[in-house]
Amino acid sequence: MTWYHYLAAGAFLLCLISLLSHLIRLVRLGAPNDYSRRRGNVGSAIVFSFLGAMSPAKKESAYLHLPTYTAGLLYHIGTFVSIALFFLLFFNIQPAAWIRWGVIGLLAVSGLSGVGILVKRTTVKKLRLLSSPDDYISNILVTVFQFLTLVLLIQEAFAPFYFLGASLLLLYFPLGKLKHALYFFAARYHLGFFYGWRGIWPARKS
Amino acid sequence: MNGLSAQKLKALQLLTQPKDSQLISHVNSCVHCGLCAESCMYYVATNDERFVPALKVDLLSTIYQRYSTVTGKFLPRLVKARELDDATIQEMVDLFFGSCTLCGRCTLHCSIGVDITYLVRVGRAMLASMGFVPATLQSTVNAALQTGNNMAIPTEDFTSTLSWLEDELRNEVQDPQASIPLNQPDVNVLYTLNPREPRFFPLSISAMAKIFYAAKESWTLSTFMYDVTNYAYFSCNLEEAVKIAERLFNETTNLRAKRCVLAECGHGSRAFRWEAPNYLQKLFSFDTLTSVELLAEYIREGRIKVDKDKNQETVTLHDPCNLVREGGIVDEQRYVLNHTTTTFVEMTPHGLDNLCCGGGGGQLSMSEYGDRRMKIGELKAEQIRKTGAATVVTPCHNCVDQLIQINNRFKLGVNIKTLAEIVADALVLDQPAVTPSPTQKA
Repeated sequence: MTWYHYLAAGAFLLCLISLLSHLIRLVRLGAPNDYSRRRGNVGSAIVFSFLGAMSPAKKESAYLHLPTYTAGLLYHIGTFVSIALFFLLFFNIQPAAWIRWGVIGLLAVSGLSGVGILVKRTTVKKLRLLSSPDDYISNILVTVFQFLTLVLLIQEAFAPFYFLGASLLLLYFPLGKLKHALYFFAARYHLGFFYGWRGIWPARKS
Repeated sequence: MNGLSAQKLKALQLLTQPKDSQLISHVNSCVHCGLCAESCMYYVATNDERFVPALKVDLLSTIYQRYSTVTGKFLPRLVKARELDDATIQEMVDLFFGSCTLCGRCTLHCSIGVDITYLVRVGRAMLASMGFVPATLQSTVNAALQTGNNMAIPTEDFTSTLSWLEDELRNEVQDPQASIPLNQPDVNVLYTLNPREPRFFPLSISAMAKIFYAAKESWTLSTFMYDVTNYAYFSCNLEEAVKIAERLFNETTNLRAKRCVLAECGHGSRAFRWEAPNYLQKLFSFDTLTSVELLAEYIREGRIKVDKDKNQETVTLHDPCNLVREGGIVDEQRYVLNHTTTTFVEMTPHGLDNLCCGGGGGQLSMSEYGDRRMKIGELKAEQIRKTGAATVVTPCHNCVDQLIQINNRFKLGVNIKTLAEIVADALVLDQPAVTPSPTQKA
């Protein structure tokens, strides 16, 4: 273990504790108690909320903005892959060469998607109005993390920079919008419950 | 929170002391992608960035962060956390009351799944607790609280209108026994009204009375509590919403009606069917259903006979947001129209995706925002024009009112009708087995 391994492990632990405290609060507060007479199937609506309702065909936010939607999707895939690789790389486990080059390609695309999203945020007026420093910092940290993962897969000597970048991201994670990684699931649960209780979801053809 | 007035502290309690995880889930989820913009009629109609729904979320979320999160307390600039000061309150009034119809399109299409409508209602509840409900909306709530109906119609006027309508009904169906029963206990259906009906649209009461007559329904109206609306749902003053909902609950219980049928009113049906049990923290022992569901049931079960050839003009349907997107009544009105009209055409988009007419969220009563309301009504006007329909049907009296104004402003030249009026026009009545009425004798 080197200093940067300790740093990354500490940052990960702090991030985990903080996110766990958010999760515990969510669970302790619990779901709302609805006294109205249920009309639909809540279980299937919650499943629909996470699957069918997320399809681009169901959301204007996706089908009216396909390039942004695609970039966002790739960016998130790149993030998940980078997080998974963080654990492997921490224990110095290198993926097989053919996987490595596939991942490098994916991270190049997802990282560029992140840059594209950042450019859009800085150039589109309505997004600038919406954005706080947190939005820019979050985007930069995640994008840099993806590029650092990519570089480390090519050049192992880059490890100190990689773990420093990962630690910064992990320490920042609970402070701002990146928390949506946790709250997203809670929000979609509530939305599925709401629409399912009233028989609105799963959507039927009208 | 030192230095904040008692009113502001009370408002902040709604944010900082949530009863369940719903609020913190939604308030922490928005990623500021801004992709909700095109789902909002206000943004589409005006292209004004202030109306992007995410900014409404942001307004609430930044106040939440200021008083509830470590980042907001110690690094407020990082997340643009803001104080609940007078400028913030004015912005809240303008965004939460003045530029949202609570139509729910943004929620349905949010890339994350943030219930934006719910958050706007939380914002409105905060404003209500500080006394910042627009006076025009509050006066409608006050009328309901003080007189029992939101148009302050005196009971004598109401009963005399019904008496006149009853005479008309007897003449129309040629049956002196036909009636509009009042305050009858132990009936199957307690029917409610939007006070706009006795005041401005009595024909929709006639239409429903004729349908009840044809279905041989055991029903009644109450002269004590007939108002289906609950404008406190719009102002989000929980205490007042409870009082209004409790009246209808008590009246249904006192009359021992098996079903409380909610008139064609989007928000009214939502407020009583879905919100009232939660306002009152009670499971209702009687059925609560909308008249749209009842009409579909009558046709499906053969309780009324209809002839679609009686409605030959091209008809289109405006889906009220609270009934459809927030209430799940999507197929029933289509079933009814397919059985009562020869040419029914859909708007684009329709159903869950339908565009709001602009009259929801209490906008019709908030005259100070009338220009914005009519501006977004232009989108609905275009939707209607493209269908080529001669008649627009909508099962909501607030929508009827807004559509009438849209019809006049944008010179659409269409008829606006409720669903009951269409069904009544298509009714095939059994031959009356009758003795002539006193008027006929005379």
